[in-house]
Amino acid sequence: MNPLKKLLDSSEKYFTGSGKFNRLKPLFDATKTFLFFPSPKTSHIPFVRDSLDLKRFMSFVIISLLPVLIFGIYNTGLQAGYALGESYTFLQAFFSGSRYVIPIILVSYSVGFFWEVLFAAIQKHKISEGFLVTGLLFPLTLPATIPLWQVAVGISFGVVIGKEVFGGTGRNFLNPALTGRAFLFFSYPVSMSGEVWVAAASSVDGVSGATALSILAPEGEKITSALSNSGFSLSNLFLGFVPGSIGETSALCCILGALFLIITKIANFRIIIGGIAGLIVTSIIFYLIPGGSDSWMNAGPLFHLCAGGFLFGISFMATDPVSAPGTNPGRWIFGFLIGFFTVIIRVANPAFVEGTMLAILFMNVFAPMLDHIVIKYNVSRRIPNV
Amino acid sequence: MENIDISKGFKVILTGMPDLSVIQIPEPETIAVSALDIPYIRPKLLVKENDPVKTGTPLFCDKRNKSIHYVSPGTGIVKQIIFGQRRRLVEVVIALDKIQDKKDDFIQFETLSRDDLDTVPKSKITKMLQEGGLWQCFRQFPSKDTADENHEPPMIIVSLNGNDLFSPHPHAVLENETTFFEFGISVLKQFSKRIIVTSRQDNLSSLNRLNGLNKHITHIVPDFYPAWDPGVVLYKLKTTREENRSWCISAEHLVLMAKLLLTGRYPVKRVVTVTRSNDKKPHIITRQGAPVKDLAGSLDDNSLITTGRFNGRSVESGSHMGFFENTLTIISDNQKEELFGFIKPGLTKPTASKTFLSCLTKTPKNLDCNTHGEERACINCGYCVNICPVDLMPNFIIKALLSDDIEDALNYGLLDCCRCGLCSYACPSKIELTRILSHGIDAHYKDKE
Repeated sequence: MNPLKKLLDSSEKYFTGSGKFNRLKPLFDATKTFLFFPSPKTSHIPFVRDSLDLKRFMSFVIISLLPVLIFGIYNTGLQAGYALGESYTFLQAFFSGSRYVIPIILVSYSVGFFWEVLFAAIQKHKISEGFLVTGLLFPLTLPATIPLWQVAVGISFGVVIGKEVFGGTGRNFLNPALTGRAFLFFSYPVSMSGEVWVAAASSVDGVSGATALSILAPEGEKITSALSNSGFSLSNLFLGFVPGSIGETSALCCILGALFLIITKIANFRIIIGGIAGLIVTSIIFYLIPGGSDSWMNAGPLFHLCAGGFLFGISFMATDPVSAPGTNPGRWIFGFLIGFFTVIIRVANPAFVEGTMLAILFMNVFAPMLDHIVIKYNVSRRIPNV
Repeated sequence: MENIDISKGFKVILTGMPDLSVIQIPEPETIAVSALDIPYIRPKLLVKENDPVKTGTPLFCDKRNKSIHYVSPGTGIVKQIIFGQRRRLVEVVIALDKIQDKKDDFIQFETLSRDDLDTVPKSKITKMLQEGGLWQCFRQFPSKDTADENHEPPMIIVSLNGNDLFSPHPHAVLENETTFFEFGISVLKQFSKRIIVTSRQDNLSSLNRLNGLNKHITHIVPDFYPAWDPGVVLYKLKTTREENRSWCISAEHLVLMAKLLLTGRYPVKRVVTVTRSNDKKPHIITRQGAPVKDLAGSLDDNSLITTGRFNGRSVESGSHMGFFENTLTIISDNQKEELFGFIKPGLTKPTASKTFLSCLTKTPKNLDCNTHGEERACINCGYCVNICPVDLMPNFIIKALLSDDIEDALNYGLLDCCRCGLCSYACPSKIELTRILSHGIDAHYKDKE
């Protein structure tokens, strides 16, 4: 027998029944089942079950986030290098970025995990794998410059108020990671405003990092050329060599992750495609409206798609099945409206430069209603059987 | 012949398909009539232990309609009447007579000739079937209860295939029985104007070899489970509300009915399959209610013996086959806990999802009787919706059922559920969806009663 398994089996008695640490049973269970995949015998029909379980389901989201994460670390280092006036090699940039990003992720996981274990112990249920995803998604939406205590406060709000008060994974109606981010966004606007998002920038005079979405063209200049002049050319935005939140900058990496999720059918393609369609249609409509050529109104679909956190949000946040609609037509509408509202908020609302987070949270609230309408329609088409 | 367009179901190819050849096994020592596989029955015993019985002697009837008999499939004495919890009848076990040289002592029922069929009233045929112990072959939707004799069904669905993927092949069941089958169809025409006979796509070519059988097949269904289930067929064919109370019957039972009516003797022969992963066993001819251990052999491991991997019941090796059961599936237990098992590439793991490399290969897979994970909360992923053959949304229905909102559940189509088990199969959160749906249907049934 595996020595690790032996160790777990021998220490199980401390965590169960009247053992010394029986309150930590959820933590023990989570560790044990993470290491050794449980597979008890079925006792009800059907006597056979699929090999897919929630652990694998959630791990696949983590895998899809790896390109975004690795590029995010690299880019953070790279941007920090620019701010210090140096150009780093890949490894230098990666290590420099790790110094900023890894602590954020560690704080997010450890603080969030603490709440998960606490609630699991109180409610006597098992720790759900959903947190593995939340704990990684949340830091990726943050700027690398964020103070670590804010990360802790944000993830606490996301997990406790966004999820656990409703009864835990499966019962939350808002995406917990985005709830946490929204909390930080409104509570600590200075660190989240998008003006000082380059790591190491604050220690150097005269460098002010801004994200693409906060750019406004000077009088008489087009927004697209203004963007290019500030380093936000379309190719830079697509590849991601621009300042921004850790995970959101590279459209390419987001697309890679989204493709992985679509091919493995972990995420529903209807939300992603619907969202991109909504964004493109709305941004074209704004593009065709005369005037406003110096603002994001006139940026056109490609800039809207690649700038900001839209692709990250629609691929990884909006596709969270718990807070998205459960019906296919509902998913199309849900996705489309996220794209629509993202552009509306970016263009028509001077208070917020980025609209994806608010658009997704807003549509999360409407997801049950979309489901309700679709189910009503489906029921009306069924031949009643009562 | 029309094709029925069914797109959702279990499409993984499995090992263990039985061979088409047929063998006969020696007469068993004991046989039994089980009450566990008869939905909703409230049995009333008509015999005591040690009573001698002939082939066709009623053993118990249904308290809800005492004229519906369940008769002895052999001659001998009642060896034991087994009760379960709350004195629920489990089995009536009969020790077969060895003295009479294995010849059955039949109770002679009334007979019916082909020419009489049009002149005899329907009630008379009903009575003959009830006395002969075969009326219960008619099952009535929506809950698949024993058919109500006073109800004229809008259609009767005859299914050539059983409840499991590897139930007996219709060729093995109907070989040499086509005349009985045809007579059975004309009996059905006395009960309903619309007779539907469905066959699996892949069975058509071998059924062609059976004389004149093909002309009775009205609909062809695709070759994946549970496209041939009468519940699925009804869902796809029905156009009005009244058709929800259609009947269904299996082709094997139809042949039994025809034999009973034509010969006046209770037919005892059954064709069963015993399937196991990586095994290719022949079809077996045996007697109704044969002991499980005679069919499955002795099993030394932890394997689960069921009468259908998706919607059968789990049986002990000491028990006997039920009236409605004609397949035994031995599912091996693979309880080892793999290190980091949740993230293995999984070239051989069967799955309906796209998250294992095995979904790229077409090689037959082995299913085991393990859950592959622990129960979690529903995350609304929609795997159950994507696999449900009757377009239900199990994720929403169970939420209605768990909050006791039976009205909503019924509106969502709960009674269309054919208990195929695929929602529970596919659920990554390992929620017992089929069980909750099934309880909901039963609760509704009891409510109405």
